[in-house]
Amino acid sequence: MGSLDDSLMTAVELLFNLDREVWLTIWTSLYTSSCAIVFAALIGIPIGLWLGISRFRGRRLTITLLNTLMAMPTVVIGLVLFGLFSRQGPFGLLGLLFTPWAMIAGQTVLATPIVANYVLAAVSGSDQRIMDTVLTLGATRFQASVQLLKEIRFGVMAAVIAGFGRVIAEVGVAMMLGGNIRGSTRTMTTAIALETSKGEFAFGLSLGIVLLSVALIVNLFLNLLQQR
Amino acid sequence: MEPVISIKDVLVKQGEIFSLSIENLELHFRRIYTLMGSNGAGKSTLLRTMALLTLPERGTVRLADAGAGNLAQQRQKVTLVEQSPYLLKGSVSDNLAFGLKLRGIRRKEQKKRIISALALVGLEGFEPRKANELSGGEVQRVALARALVLEPKVLLLDEPTSSIDSKSLQAFEEMLSQLPENGVTIVLATHDRFMAERLGGEMLQIENGRILDRSHRLSEYNSTKENQVWPKLLNAQGL
Repeated sequence: MGSLDDSLMTAVELLFNLDREVWLTIWTSLYTSSCAIVFAALIGIPIGLWLGISRFRGRRLTITLLNTLMAMPTVVIGLVLFGLFSRQGPFGLLGLLFTPWAMIAGQTVLATPIVANYVLAAVSGSDQRIMDTVLTLGATRFQASVQLLKEIRFGVMAAVIAGFGRVIAEVGVAMMLGGNIRGSTRTMTTAIALETSKGEFAFGLSLGIVLLSVALIVNLFLNLLQQR
Repeated sequence: MEPVISIKDVLVKQGEIFSLSIENLELHFRRIYTLMGSNGAGKSTLLRTMALLTLPERGTVRLADAGAGNLAQQRQKVTLVEQSPYLLKGSVSDNLAFGLKLRGIRRKEQKKRIISALALVGLEGFEPRKANELSGGEVQRVALARALVLEPKVLLLDEPTSSIDSKSLQAFEEMLSQLPENGVTIVLATHDRFMAERLGGEMLQIENGRILDRSHRLSEYNSTKENQVWPKLLNAQGL
């Protein structure tokens, strides 16, 4: 490993020379994380909304479970899904293990509780008059729920962005379910772990710069939304 | 004649202490009813029960012509304007169009009705204004216009003048007093006995969640053909 300055220069060169492997890794990360967050939003937003507006026995317990899932280590998610997708597992026949789809599935599991919790917080913190107003104007409960989401849209967007920030930066799921296969399931985080262990510090650093930039953009956007 | 709202043996519980209990209450078409009572007497709960927003633990709330439709269809017969109303994000026009869209009213007619309803509450030209940039009194009037634009059979008003300045108050009361002749039943909760007396109609005294007294009074406002409300709306629509 050379000096940090040299590595940084090489990292910038790799990025600006459009090194195919670097960009392919970046693409895999963005592609799997984006797909995962779309699925997580489709599942997590209705769950958060439902928990926010419904009152039923066991609601508190459900919310506690959701909070626990938020703190679930990524390697545990990876381990459980590995068991499901492995050849002997119930979904083994699908042949998903070590494909981007297995990573997407794992990252969806990781992001869904985050999205649901953020949406739940947004609904709980929203103006209690919204639902009543919309209902008294003649909306059905479903229409009123959709309108509520529109009214708290910045909170919902913040939920999606927070989920995205979590999945793009995770290693455990991508490593266990993707297998870090070059040109197929190698993401920025798994590549950084691998290349650094091989002594390819500059390569790891270039991906680290991109990952940090993505995290920075996501957080700036999140900050901007929270201020509105 | 069938009552527009019929409440029978209704019990609504709110927490451990308060409960609204109405044995029998029938409200008729084209009348003004004012609910009088101290804070926490149950006026708002009764209005919310009539609006089918709060469902009773026991008893029935029946709306005329509501049929056996679902709750949303039944709610379309009544509209509640709350004391501190919530305006949806967007423009004043978006707010007024919301209920019209739910009722499948065409865009062209929506526009005409919105202009007329805003004129009724003295907010001509407010269509493009952002809802979050309005004053308290304007919010209350936009909320009233949002209810009027739907031409409800029953209009429920909870302290509707709490943010309206004294200059606009008389015009507001005159407009309200003319609504029954246009087929609207008004149920209004207020602390203002003088306002209730000026509007006339039937006064219902409510305390501790029970109706104690009912009395009639004539309106102080003249209702001539020229100053009726719905004809103004219909004329504006070219109907």
